[in-house]
Amino acid sequence: MKKKSMIGWMSLLVAVTMLTLPVQSLAGKVYKLGLSLAITGPTSDAGNPYSKGVEDYFNFVNDTKILGDDKIECTIRDDQYNNDVTKRNFEDFISQGIVFYLNYSTGSTLALKKDFEEEKMAVIPASFHAGNLIDSHYIFLPIASYSTQAIGLGEYIVKNHKGGTPKVAMFIHPSAFGRGPVEDLQKAVAAGLKMEIVEVVEHGKDLDNTAMLQRLLSKGVQYVISQTVQSPVATMLKDASGLGLVAKSFGEAGKITFLGCHYTGGNDLIALAGASAENFYWTTSYIVTNEPSPGATAQLELAKKYNRDEKAANSHNYTNGMMVAQVATEVIKRAKAAGKEITKVTLYEELQAMNGDKAFSPGTTVGPVTYSKTDHTGVDTLQLYVVGGGVFKSVGTPFIPVFAEKIK
Amino acid sequence: MNYFFQLVISGIVVGSIYALSGLGFVLIYKSSRVLNIAHGQIIAAGAFITYALTVWVDIPIYISFPMSMVLTFFLAMSVERVFLRRLIGEPIISVIMVTIGLMSILDGLIYLTPFGSENFSFPPFLPTTPISVAGVSVSWTQMVGVVITFTLIGAFSWFFKKSTVGISMRAVSDDQMASMSIGISVPRVFGLAWATAGLSAAAAGGIIGNITGLNFETLHAFGIIVFPVVILGGLDSILGAVVAGIIMGLVQQFASGYLDGNWGLSGTGEVMPYIILLVILLFKPHGLFGIHEIERV
Amino acid sequence: MSSNRWLATGNYFTSYKEEQRIFFTSLDRAAMSLLLLCLFIWPFFIVVDNKYMLVIDNILVAVIAVMGLNLVTGFAGLISIGHAAFVGIGAYTIASFARVLGDSHALLTHAWPLLILIAGFMGAVFGAIVGLPALRLKHLYLAIATLSFQMIFQWTINFMNFFNQGQTISVGRVVWLTGQVSRSQHYIFWYYAILVVIVFCGFAVRNLLRTRYGRCLVAVRDNDRAADAMGMHPGFTKVYAFALAGFLAGVAGALHAYLYRGVGIESFTLHHSISFLAMAIVGGLGTLPGSFLGPLAIKVLDLQVERLSEWAGAHLTFATNLATALRPLSFGLVIVLFLMFEPRGIANWWRIARSYVKLWPFRY
Repeated sequence: MKKKSMIGWMSLLVAVTMLTLPVQSLAGKVYKLGLSLAITGPTSDAGNPYSKGVEDYFNFVNDTKILGDDKIECTIRDDQYNNDVTKRNFEDFISQGIVFYLNYSTGSTLALKKDFEEEKMAVIPASFHAGNLIDSHYIFLPIASYSTQAIGLGEYIVKNHKGGTPKVAMFIHPSAFGRGPVEDLQKAVAAGLKMEIVEVVEHGKDLDNTAMLQRLLSKGVQYVISQTVQSPVATMLKDASGLGLVAKSFGEAGKITFLGCHYTGGNDLIALAGASAENFYWTTSYIVTNEPSPGATAQLELAKKYNRDEKAANSHNYTNGMMVAQVATEVIKRAKAAGKEITKVTLYEELQAMNGDKAFSPGTTVGPVTYSKTDHTGVDTLQLYVVGGGVFKSVGTPFIPVFAEKIK
Repeated sequence: MNYFFQLVISGIVVGSIYALSGLGFVLIYKSSRVLNIAHGQIIAAGAFITYALTVWVDIPIYISFPMSMVLTFFLAMSVERVFLRRLIGEPIISVIMVTIGLMSILDGLIYLTPFGSENFSFPPFLPTTPISVAGVSVSWTQMVGVVITFTLIGAFSWFFKKSTVGISMRAVSDDQMASMSIGISVPRVFGLAWATAGLSAAAAGGIIGNITGLNFETLHAFGIIVFPVVILGGLDSILGAVVAGIIMGLVQQFASGYLDGNWGLSGTGEVMPYIILLVILLFKPHGLFGIHEIERV
Repeated sequence: MSSNRWLATGNYFTSYKEEQRIFFTSLDRAAMSLLLLCLFIWPFFIVVDNKYMLVIDNILVAVIAVMGLNLVTGFAGLISIGHAAFVGIGAYTIASFARVLGDSHALLTHAWPLLILIAGFMGAVFGAIVGLPALRLKHLYLAIATLSFQMIFQWTINFMNFFNQGQTISVGRVVWLTGQVSRSQHYIFWYYAILVVIVFCGFAVRNLLRTRYGRCLVAVRDNDRAADAMGMHPGFTKVYAFALAGFLAGVAGALHAYLYRGVGIESFTLHHSISFLAMAIVGGLGTLPGSFLGPLAIKVLDLQVERLSEWAGAHLTFATNLATALRPLSFGLVIVLFLMFEPRGIANWWRIARSYVKLWPFRY
């Protein structure tokens, strides 16, 4: 008896699938995209909300019919921060016929650079490593590179420092990801940025930074620019605030002002460092959700629509993922409006034409996204934020670092 | 000179946390000759349980901390019961691989919870201004950590020296056959060894979690950091773990304090333990206090 | 030799030499030849996506590495938790050439078989050096020595500018008789290249185990004092076990570098060492078929789990956490379950199947 009903159910299931399949293929075209990133393994604290941002936005595009009857089908794969798996995923996406690719880590972007060239596939990674753009025509950074961010912080220091040449130390991740901006910041100093880089500290898995902080202080360091992930910065900030070393106002004499690039900040830092994160300066090109703006509203609504928790909804990596998806959708929309067929070639053209009147303002960034043949950096503008009362607050208006151009 | 003393104090603070992390490792090795690669995951689990109890269940930390130690005690005991009991008498490689498999399984289980890919921090419960004496300072969290470490280490030493269970554990580590013949249940002792290791790992996790914040990566890395410590101290010596932990902490602090930034070196604190490890393995493989059971061929 | 050349029921040896034969019956030889033939000709009939071709190539590279690991851990009984570092040594040998000469220098693109050999020898040299502590260390201590080699290797690569601080160093496309190997031919070309290497290595290892050097390994594993008493040199044996493992690992690393056309530290971390060990265990430690079956099983499992978790992620909306947790969970469970219920690995099933055929029509 049971067996019979099972067979009945199975045949019903088969019938339903048979019926729905052809219906789906009739309604509009499907554009395939691919995203490979670390949802588990190293850096998954960033990758996880990032993937949610991408997934939700494409669902939103399909559900609200932004592309009419056409749909975007973005396959998201976990590569566990393993370049070999990323390559496998990319090959798979290529055979599936994707028209646009989203990548994640610095390592895999560099490892696959040649494949992107050969496949002529436009790529937006989540890594803002300046080295991604060297010898590459198809990689597009969503926002200003880590180097530009570090230089931007340097310029802000020079502009707001009182009395003499500011002494700066860098606190970096022990990898190319961390070391990348060091050289560029040194170049900027050589090109006339009036500050002194006293020491570059590569952190390990430190439990105690007291000695390091005292050493920096004895060398007269007043500013520490961090380029790493949140956890080591949080440990350093806890020690510093315990020692009472954190400057209450920017550049307070005898104290240290802590600053950091994109991946050092965000709500994750506040989650890790708690009250010690106060007065930490952070730069990125994304908006934050606690300050009202159209982009923030859109982000929070999107997260609410797809039942994301508070943490994901307010994560700057969710913003990051959402923005990348917005850009991808926008180029497809534009190519469609121009009556072009949607292929990787046309999308690449549209992406490079995204400048001047055609600059794109997704709302989730503090400036417009602009790309051209020579400029593969999306949002050039940066915004400085400072932690006050447990949230990131804007400091001043968005700015574009001038030395970033000078050292090219 | 102040700088020197600061390095010494920081080294001792960090070292005693290493010692506590290494302790669990030694406890397991001492009684059951198992190299527990999954130790970092147990440390992380201990930290997460403490956080969950403190923040989600809203229990004050001075109760939730021992509670999580107790919970991890039973967690580790059941891990031994389920995974390792069957492998008594199997070759070493199998046992090492089981702990590697265990590491993956615990990873998977932790990814099921929000802790796998989100960051948290403990609500502050201690004064944030550090204890400062003549320009040398230690934060309260670290100070409490050191006190807990030494209390636990003292307790364990007493336990092994005086209590019946502790003595039977030592007996098993000396000679399993002989212990069995006088009526000690060897499997039970193994279970207990894992359980006490879990207890100390939870304590270590709670302390590290308070210092660094709760990030899965950072926490489980301590499972690897303890290797140099326990080798230097000798795999089967509690005293060794303590002394070696503190030596390691000091070496790291001095390396990064005096070498980094000079002669183009950086990040030396990271690799120093492994260089020491290599030297120790080549010249004194049983460590400072380990039992001499190495042979030449 | 039994009278029936195709089916020999039971053992019928009249000399020790006969016992050491590679193929006991003509059926064995025929099956092996057929298998090899199939491996070489199937790409002409079946077209596979690049993704799966890459997976297949990747399995083959892992087979070479695991063969090496099996020599040192399976046959000689010396636990190595740093095998990925030896593979890395091979890959970084190629990368060093690319770094000094430029990534498309003729030496790299034309003389690649030579470079693969050089990489193998570099692996062997480092293997011997790391093997030196094995003269004094046993069991766990040796395991930790190899682990620390893994750590020091990672730190060195990460730290040195010469190695691009662990970021990818690219390697150019190779040239073959038909000209440069293009992107569309890349994976199929390397399939054949790696397959040829495997056939060589496989027969070399099989033959090694028939010689006194190979039997030395097993003797030292089982009881090194007894081996010493019988006139073998356990110390030397241990060092050359490491050197041989290093050689195979180096070759695997070089092939990995060419296959992925780049070398980055992320492919040679502790995690990979652990995977190699898992492959060796699941395949069956101390068996040659295990070196083939282990990588196959682990990589196929990984693919299947990926598919499953994708399905779970798409159909069960609440299960996103479950989907991401599936991979580490399944990897760990497979290791643990094999160790608990089939410690001799898949190779044991193979052995049982073979002995069934051998004893046919009788059952044991």
